[in-house]
Formats: sequence, structure tokens, C-alpha cells
Amino acid sequence: MNRRESLYGLGGTLGTVAFNSLLAAESPLTPKPGHHPSKAKNCIFIFMEGGPSHIDTFDPKPVLDKLHMKEFSRESKFASAMSSGKRFYVGSPFEFKQYGKAGIPMCTEYQHLAKVADELCLYRGCQGESVNHPTACYHMNTGNRFGGDPAVGSWVSYGLGTSNQDLPSFVVLPEVNYPQGGSANWANGFLPAHYQGTTLRAKGSPILDLLPPKGVTRDLQRMNLDALQKINQQHAVANPTHDALAARMSSYELAFRMQSIVPDLIDLGKESDKTKEAYGIGQMETDDFGKRCLLARRMVGNGVRFVQLYAGGWDSHDYLERAHSARIRSVDKPIAALIRDLKQRGMLDDTLVFCCGEFGRSPDNGVRGGGARVGRDHNAKAMNIWFAGGGTKAGHIIGATDEIGDQAVEVVHPIKDLHATLLHLLGLNDNKLTFFDQGRYKQLSQTGGQVITEILA
Amino acid sequence: MKRQMLNALFAGLALTMLSTQSQAASDEVLFLDKVYPLLKEKCLACHGDSPDKIKGEYDMRTYEGMLAGGKSGEAAIVKGKPVLSPFFISLTWDDEDLQMPPKENDRLDKAQMEIIREWIERGAPWSDPSVKRTVAWGDVSEDGMVVKTSGGLDDSWTYRRYEVDGLWAYQPIKKVMPPNDDAHPVDSFIDTQLEETGIKVAPPADKLNLLRRATFALTGLPPTPVEVDAFLDDDSPDAFAKLVDRLQASPHYGEKMAQHWLDVTRYADTSGFSNDFERPTAWRYRDYVVRSFNADKPYDQFVREQLAGDELTEAGPEGLIATGFLRMGPWEHTSMSVAAETRQQFLDDVTHSVGVAFLGQQMRCFACHDHKFDPLPTQDYYSFQSLFATVQFADRPLPFLKNENTRSMATGKERLKRRIENASNRDKYLDQQVEKIVARKKKESGPKGMDEETLKQVYELAKKDQETAVAKATRKQKMYYEREAMRYEPYGYTVYNGPSRVTNSNKPIMTMPPLKKLKGEPEAIHILTGGSIESPAEKVSPSILSVVSGFASAKSPFARTQIPEGMSGRRTALAEWITDRENPLTARVMVNRVWQHLFSGRALVGTPNDFGKMGKRPTHPELLDYLSIWFMDNGWSVKKLQCFIMASEAYQRSASPVDSDITQKDRPNQWLSYFPPRRLQAEELRDGMLAITGELNDEMGGPGTFPQINWEVAFQPRLVMGTIAPAYQPSPKRSERHRRSLYHFRFRSLADPMLEVFNRPGSEMACDVRDETIIAPQAFALFNSEFVHDRALALAALAQEKKATFRQRLELIHQRLFGRSPSDEQAVLFEEHYKRVLKHHLTSTPIEEALPLTVERESIEELTGEPFTMVEELDNLKDYERDLKPWDAEPEVRALAEVCLVLLNSNEFSFLY
Repeated sequence: MNRRESLYGLGGTLGTVAFNSLLAAESPLTPKPGHHPSKAKNCIFIFMEGGPSHIDTFDPKPVLDKLHMKEFSRESKFASAMSSGKRFYVGSPFEFKQYGKAGIPMCTEYQHLAKVADELCLYRGCQGESVNHPTACYHMNTGNRFGGDPAVGSWVSYGLGTSNQDLPSFVVLPEVNYPQGGSANWANGFLPAHYQGTTLRAKGSPILDLLPPKGVTRDLQRMNLDALQKINQQHAVANPTHDALAARMSSYELAFRMQSIVPDLIDLGKESDKTKEAYGIGQMETDDFGKRCLLARRMVGNGVRFVQLYAGGWDSHDYLERAHSARIRSVDKPIAALIRDLKQRGMLDDTLVFCCGEFGRSPDNGVRGGGARVGRDHNAKAMNIWFAGGGTKAGHIIGATDEIGDQAVEVVHPIKDLHATLLHLLGLNDNKLTFFDQGRYKQLSQTGGQVITEILA
Repeated sequence: MKRQMLNALFAGLALTMLSTQSQAASDEVLFLDKVYPLLKEKCLACHGDSPDKIKGEYDMRTYEGMLAGGKSGEAAIVKGKPVLSPFFISLTWDDEDLQMPPKENDRLDKAQMEIIREWIERGAPWSDPSVKRTVAWGDVSEDGMVVKTSGGLDDSWTYRRYEVDGLWAYQPIKKVMPPNDDAHPVDSFIDTQLEETGIKVAPPADKLNLLRRATFALTGLPPTPVEVDAFLDDDSPDAFAKLVDRLQASPHYGEKMAQHWLDVTRYADTSGFSNDFERPTAWRYRDYVVRSFNADKPYDQFVREQLAGDELTEAGPEGLIATGFLRMGPWEHTSMSVAAETRQQFLDDVTHSVGVAFLGQQMRCFACHDHKFDPLPTQDYYSFQSLFATVQFADRPLPFLKNENTRSMATGKERLKRRIENASNRDKYLDQQVEKIVARKKKESGPKGMDEETLKQVYELAKKDQETAVAKATRKQKMYYEREAMRYEPYGYTVYNGPSRVTNSNKPIMTMPPLKKLKGEPEAIHILTGGSIESPAEKVSPSILSVVSGFASAKSPFARTQIPEGMSGRRTALAEWITDRENPLTARVMVNRVWQHLFSGRALVGTPNDFGKMGKRPTHPELLDYLSIWFMDNGWSVKKLQCFIMASEAYQRSASPVDSDITQKDRPNQWLSYFPPRRLQAEELRDGMLAITGELNDEMGGPGTFPQINWEVAFQPRLVMGTIAPAYQPSPKRSERHRRSLYHFRFRSLADPMLEVFNRPGSEMACDVRDETIIAPQAFALFNSEFVHDRALALAALAQEKKATFRQRLELIHQRLFGRSPSDEQAVLFEEHYKRVLKHHLTSTPIEEALPLTVERESIEELTGEPFTMVEELDNLKDYERDLKPWDAEPEVRALAEVCLVLLNSNEFSFLY
């Protein structure tokens, strides 16, 4: 491996990385100091796609119990067909208890997370703009409702680079099915391709066509590669000023090496049974997400800057009790294990864990199944988000929603402020982290955001 | 003496008076032209624009407020003393606690700081910005030009000055003469600049490279060995001209040109967002574009048809298909959406896409405020938007035209009918699924197991859940299939003029409303404050971009374009305005695109979709103008324009620079001393491989086709509103799968990874210049994918069948791939390679891999919050004609395929010179 290759390493190639010129001295992913000192160096972003209900998880609204199944009507030019017309209030089917020193309320389904309540900073003031899944996901992930802009992880990689040049800087661990809106949720947008999220697919080949078709041995492949490089070499001699030729040749060598490195990277076989048990690996409900949580910890432990995990299925318009409890059970144990594991390893201080959905849910519902299929619709004006570690206030509740959970009313901030805060926690200033595109300097918050100081430790 | 003194005294007095007057005038100019626009741009957003959200209590709306300062209580401005003024200090960023504006990128530059310093030194004179001033349009001072527009949200914007340089695109196209009569006009302009730079110019390209260059540029395909021979053997002086004629006469010409145009218009067969529903007859627009380029339809007519084809009776049914352009962007309206929002989303989309495609104007930049850099007021954004206020969506009955491809329709319909029946039949896998779930639950329950009663309950629940989830998915999938069936029905994906109505995208066909509902008032368009539909301000009338007309001679009808305000005719008037010879943008924008696609993606204006101040300046402005006039003089003929450009030496130059200092003198090659090499585009790579192996089916047009894509991507569950979409199934017929990439069914939410990885753009944003990155996943796609392995084997089988010896086969392969023979050295290298890999293939037998007939798909069911699986039958795979596979090939063919694989991966194949 020559100097330049080791500089680029996998960080330069696992995702989609350009080799514009062999003359480029430095990898675009070389670690960079942030704009200000910060505790958090890395981030694990857990995205609960579908819109988890704040009212049934971390934000109990006893008033709704009294209003349960009472009718009301909402009409507005700016209301969707879904949220207008004849509607009913819905009380939460869940029981709540308070946990930790701060008495963070959680529905009792969250039995594992409850035990690490003192690590959490619960934030209830965030408001979005869109009640459609894909646009709301894009908004939360990229700052732009219509997609096409860089994801948070891309911005962070652009701002900080990554400490381990052998691994990608921004890794995405999706479910078998991608979230609504697809891969645009972790795209690099107008930032250079180096900053795109690298997906490690949940099923099948972690990276498409990582390995050749069956029957092609590594030796055979090496022979082909050698022949290829020989004719490419001759061609390059005939075209000495054409930079792209050499870049393309080295991309093949890197790809060849990745074929052995990537499978190693995702092999959980070496983890102890105890660890696996703690994350819920091997248990039906938690196996899938548990693996992703453990993988996230391994990645961050190996210097990956930003990991995003998906846990979808929260869109409970009907049968809220059953559907939400199943979803909670699938994530509860893995997340608690992740937080505890990070803490035990002394990694929680410099790792920011951040968990949210694309929006919260409504205190009311339309007439579904004559009221038998109790559920909740989308609600962008209230949601719950929690943080752990990374310089956030452990064991705190910040902000509040109104008495029925319809709107955030205290410490209210739009998503752009949340983005500015995330960057701030990672040592980046949203106003300074900019990139020139289509005639102007662009930034994650789009038009500038305000740091939510209440969240900072 | 006395008199003299008196005179002198008077003279002195007069001087003083004069200077006081001019001082006052120049103070006013300084404040209103220079200082106030800065305050507005840099300060007022936080210190005045929103009176209820004044930051730091510093209110700059009034002079008093501006002087007084904010929370600190200290006066912000000390007249005459900038260094003592906290206002000025904050701008210097010297004091860490007081840095304004807070954004690094908004900081004042040196020149701007000097303006503020001078202003405070002069005693911070103030003039009321709301008082109307009289400044002559077109007035030029050292600070730039005052430009006539319809006016901004305030006078300081209206009368601001623009660097003349940044206004180039709005100035009338100049009639310029080539500097030199002897040369081709293109060379005359280019060489003049090259002479100034002193760069040595590359010699003409060799004929083979020139042939490949031109053939890919005009058809997107490689030249065949026969075409290579014919061209190399033709020594006549007009050999190249004949070649260009032949290429332009090929039906593949329109396909290649269409690919470029569809990048700009964001063509897709689905609508994006939650459901990504099919637009069943959008393909007719795609084929219209192909036909238009093949027929060399005058570009002005092409523009008119896409903008107003439904209004123009002479455009006929083609015109109705063409206006599908207006609906090309992603769009969805479901019960989750707010009707007013989705309507506005369409209006913004169409405003922007028309501006970008035809005028090179980034319209979104002035939707929320007057344009920061260009003379484009918000008012113009909304009056331009008003041109589309009467546009409503409809899928109108429109019989298929003779020149449309309906060949596959009968089989397509039949297949979908079966698929719909099949979907209803899903329950047959139910028991299997239930067993699986119960088995998992049993395992979960631990060593003790479940008692009989619990087990029974588990069974029942599992059965119920599966039924619910599968029924739901099935219902949705039927919806998709029923929509798909509409692609064979004679409808046009188009628009009509009418009053507002809410259209739900769940309907596969949006029919026209009854006649009486076509009457009514046109939708009113208001300026939306801050771009928000919740803050409508004054109503606007439909109009064009005032700056564009503002530069035209006041006498010309173009400068006085009127738009009718009724229900019909707005877009016709717009089309007339856009295609008016006096419009300075239209011809330039298209000429620039034509040039770009001939010169390896290097346009004369490096930002083909942005001709504003923040876009790039033309490298050869006079050439651009010359060609623009030439283009219009020659009937807006794209073919003629290409012929003209390609006849130049600049086009026919070698791609190898000869100047040893070229990287110093012109690294980006903007002066074109040599021809820019380029990588094949995604579609060229794929189609080119199929052409080389003889597998390409060159049938044209018709509903989207379904190639074989990476199976993992095909079967990956695709989340749509409430459930998962049907699995992607490639066409069972080989020939259908091997159609050109242009005809692939384009999902917005499912890209063919083979094309995506080679920078095929997504269909959200208009793409002007495609990226050409080199990344490791491309190596995976070319070296490891089933697609390329299949092509290698096909090429090997062809060579094996046609030729008797290894050397002859290698010759054939090289001729088809590169149009040349292998060198002796290469022949030896490959012969040795072949022998080595043959050893491997003689001792290993490939194991046949059957295609799955069903696929198990998993996702989380929202209703239960639990995972569910569903078995989907892959009906297309039952009668699937497979490509040649290793287990059907002799070891010799397999070994030869390794050689082909290497060559398909070679740099020589990937790049054009």
C-alpha cells in the first residue's frame, strides 16, 4: 500500500469517494478540529421512522384519559384531510412511572431504558413542519423537506473528517426495507461524494456486488485484475496527462482489498455471549435491532464519526397499544444496552446519542373502526426527542407540550435549531459550517439556527 | 482691489455653497445606494424586519434607533468616529463578544467595511429610504448599473446597482463578426483566445478516436466494426461531414439527445414521495422528446409545445403530450397532505423548472425575497408563477399515434391481469407463514414450552395478524397493478386550463372535470411573504421576467409583451416571449447545452442552468452570441447547429495536449487547446456493452421496460404508505430486458444501481452537468456484477462461434470493443492469460443457480408493530429467458469470458478521446 492509498484508506472508498486527481495531497476525510472545544466527538443517531407517539412513551397526558372518545371537529385551510372533520380524543392505553433522579416519566413498556433514565436528556420542545413521512424524514435528516440536501452525518463528516481512515466516516445501518424517502435520507447532496452515508445493508451483501458471482475464486479474480492493470498501464503511458486513468486503476485495488475488510468489520462472531445477550441478540423481538446497536458501538469504538441506525414501524394510526408496545420491546433492551455499554467503556462522554422520529403523534384520531381501532395520527407540532452523553444534561427534562400533547409550548424550537444544537454539541458552528452551491453558501439549518442552550450540560 | 477681494469672497462663498449641496447629494447617494442596502442585507433581518423579534433590543428601523443602540444602553454610532462606534466595532469582528453579522459567511468584506467607515466618518448622514427617488434606468456609475425591473419590495432594492459583468445574460445578444475570415467561425473565436494564452494547440484527432467521439456524442453507442472500416477507408474530404449526417439520421440520435433533455426536465415514470405511484402514460412524453429531436423540430417550436401545447391547436395531439413537461416534477397529494400546500408545491416546481430549462434562471432564489444578487424581484417570481395559475392536471383521452410503439401492450395487459388475480391468491402461503411465526414464538417461550391453550391462542393470533398484514399489502399491491394497467390505455399525461380543483394522486387517471366546471375565475396568485402560503400579500397579474425585457429596445414588441389575464392563453404568450428572437436567454441557453454535450460536458457557460451573477461567466462570450444568432438564423435547428460546430477544428482536435506546460497554462482546458476526454455516461456504458455483445434490442419507444437489475435491490422491500410495494420483476423476455436504458421504467424511489453508481442523476432536481466521479463501488459494479459477467460471457460465446482460433477471437473482441486490433504485446498477454484461466475452468464446473419463483419479503406491520413476512410470486421468472450462464457454457468460452471481462473493465473502454 503506497502512501496515498493508506491516506485514503477505506474512508475514501467504502462510500462513494472521488479520486479526482492523484496529485491531491490530503484525503477530504482527514480529521479536522471543530470550531470550538466540545465533549462529543462522535454521534450515534437513532431514527425511529414512522412517528413514535410522545404521548404514549415519554410525555403522559392524564387529561386525555378524561377526554377519551369525546368528540370534536377541526377544519382549517391548512389542515390535511387526515386531521380535519369529526375526530375523537384518545387517552393513552399505557401506564406511566417516573424513573431516575429527574423522575423522567416513561410508559412501563420501557423497562430497560428506565434503568438508565439518569443518562437521558429528554427534550419536548421540538416542532417540525411536515406531516408526511418522506418529507418529514428529509427535514429531520437533511434540513430540507424536499430532500436533495446533505444529511446531518454528511455535514459532520465534512466538518470534522474522521479519525480512522480505514473506515468510512458516516455509516448508516438501515432495516431490510429502507425508510420512506429512501437513500436520499443519508445522501451527500451538494457536498462532495466523500461525505455520503455508507449503508451496510441489513440482509444479503452489505455492499452491493461486494463479491463476484459464485465460482469466481479470489485467485482467479487476482489474475484478471493483474491483466487489467497491465493493459491499463499501457493505456496510461499513451495518455500521460489524463489523471483519471490512475485514479480509476487504484479504485480497483481498493475495491479488491475491501472484499476482505468489510466482512470482518461486520462480523459479530467475536463478541462474547454476555454482550450479545445484553443487546438482545438471539432473542426474537430484539435480535435485529440489537445487532445494529452493537454494530454501532463497534463502529464508534473504531473511530467512525457518525452512525445512523433505523428502527421503523411506529406509524400507529390503529391499534396503538399493541403496535407501540411491540415496537418498544424491539428497541428497549438494545438501546439500554448500548447506553450502558458506552458508559462502561468510558465512551458516553465523547459519544452523543440522539434519538428521534420524524414527528410525534396527535392527541386525537379520526373515526377508525368506530373507535375500536384506537390510534393516533401524525403531529409535527409536538414530539419527544432524547439525548444521552456527549455533553448533554443527563437526567433532565427540557421543554414541555400543552396539556393534551398537541403542541410544544415551552422551550419551543424548530428543527433547524435542533440541527444547530447537534452540530454545536459536536464542536461545530452551524453558521461556519457552510458550502457554496448554486449561488450561495448553504448550511445544515438552511437559514441559520439557534443553539438550544437548555440541553447543554 | 476691493472689487477683486469681493469677487474672491463671492467666489469662495459660491464654492462653499456648491460643495455643501453636492455634499448633501453625495451623502444621500452614499446612504441610499451603498449603506442602506448593506444594512438591509446584513442587519435588518434580526434588527427590524420582524418588529416583534428584535435581537438584542437593537432596533434599526429608524435613524434614532440605529444611533441609540440596544440592550447595553451604549450609543451604537458615534458620528464621525467609527472606531468608537460599537456598531462599527461589531462589524470588524475584533471583539469576540460582539461580532456582527453572526454568520461567518455574512461578514462584511473590506470594501463594504470601507463604505460603513466612510459613512460614519461623514457623520452618518441619513436619508429616508421610503421616499421615491428618480434614478435613470441603465445609469452606470463606478458602482454599477441601475437595472429596470418591475421593482423590489422596497426602493433600495429597486435602485441598487449591479456589476455590469454579472448582467451579461440579460443584455441583448450581440451581432458579432468572427475575428478572422479564413477560419471556421468557431475556430476563429477559439483560436484568437488561444493565441493570447500562447498555448500550443493539439493536432487533429486520429480518425478512430474522432469516430468514437462523434458516434457516442450523437447516438450514445459505439461504432460497429463495419462503421469503423467504412469511415477509416473513406479518404474523401467530406468524410467527417458525411459521418455526422449519417449519425444524425440514425433513430438513435433522438434517443441520445432525449437523454440530455430528460436530465433537465427530471423525467420519471413515478411521482415520488410516499406512494411513488406510477404515472401510467408519462412514457408518451419521453417518446415525444425522442421524436422531436429525430425530426429536428425547430427548438422554438419544441419550447412552445412543452409550455402551451394544449393551447395551440396546430400542435395537435403531440402538443397535448408535450405539456406533460409541466407535470414532470415529483408531486403527490394524499389524505395526509394539505391541499393548499401541494398546489403551491406544484406552482413553485413549475415556475422553477420552466426558468431553469429554458431561461437558465434559478427561480427559487427569489421566491421568499427579492433576489440577493440578480435583478429579479419577488414580484416577478409570483407574476411568472401566475402564468401557470390556470394549469390543472388531467389525463385526457388521446388515442395512440401511429408513430407510438404499442407492440408490447397486449402481452403487458395479459400479464397484469394475471398478476392482479395472483395478488388475490396470496392466502395460499398463509399457513406456511403462520407455522414459521409459531415456531419462533415457541422457541422464544423457553425450555418449558407452551401449554396447549396458549399454543392455540398463539396460532390464532398469528393467523389473524398474517391475514391482516398480507391483506393490506395485497390491497395496496393491487392498487399498483391496476395503475400499471393504465399504461396501456390511450390517455395523455397532460394539463388543461381551468379554475382550481383538488386532485388526489391516488387516482390513476385524473379525468377532466365536466365542461361547466371549466368555467369560473382563474386562481389568484399572491406574493407570498417569506414564501409562506400562510402569508399572502398583494395579488399579482401574470407577467414575464421584467429584467429580460428591460434591456430590450423600448420600441420592440418584445419589451412590451402583454400576458392575457383570462383562463386561457397565458402560456401561449409566455412561449411567444421565450421564443422571441429578442429574448437574450433562450438561444444562449440552448446553444450552451448543445455545445456542452458535444464537448464532453464542458459548456461555454459552466453552469448551464444558472446564467445569473452567481453562475459562471461564458469562457467565449462572443462565440456564444455568434452561435446563438446562427442558431436562430438557421431555423433553431439543433442538427444544423451540431453539424456546424462539429465541422470546426476545435471539435476535431486530438484529446492529447501537446503543450508541455498545459497544466500550468490551462489545467481545466477552458481554452480548448485539446479536446476534453470524458468517461462514458451510465447509459452509454450499459447500452454500449449490449451493443458490443450484439444483444442490444434497438426497438424504440413504448411503455417503460424492466431490465434485470441487481436481484438484491429488486427484491428489497420498498416501503410505501402503509405497507410495501410489489417486488421489482425484470421482463421475462431477453430482448425486452436488453432495450436501451432510456426506455427503462424510471422509479423515483428505486434506481438501477448499475446506472446510479455511474452518476446517472436522480429525478428530483434538474441536472445540467453530470458528475464524473471515480469511486470504488464502480469497480464492484463492473468487475463483480452479474450484468457485466453476463455480457463478458455473451461476447465470448459470440467470438467462439464466429472464429476458429484464439487470435481471431481476440481480434473480433477488440474490433467490437475498440474498433482496432490488439497489439502484438497485448495479444501475447491475453493468450497467456487465457491459458492460465482456462486451467481453472477446465477443472471447475459451475453449479447451476435456479431463479426463485417466489420471494419472501419482510417488513414491520404498523397495525401490530410486529414484523410480518409475505410470499410474493415472481410470475415473470416462471417463463424467464435467461442470458447465457456459465453452467451452459464450455470451459473455453468461460475462459474467453475472463478476457472479455478484463477488456470491458479497461480504461480504454470507459473513456472517450
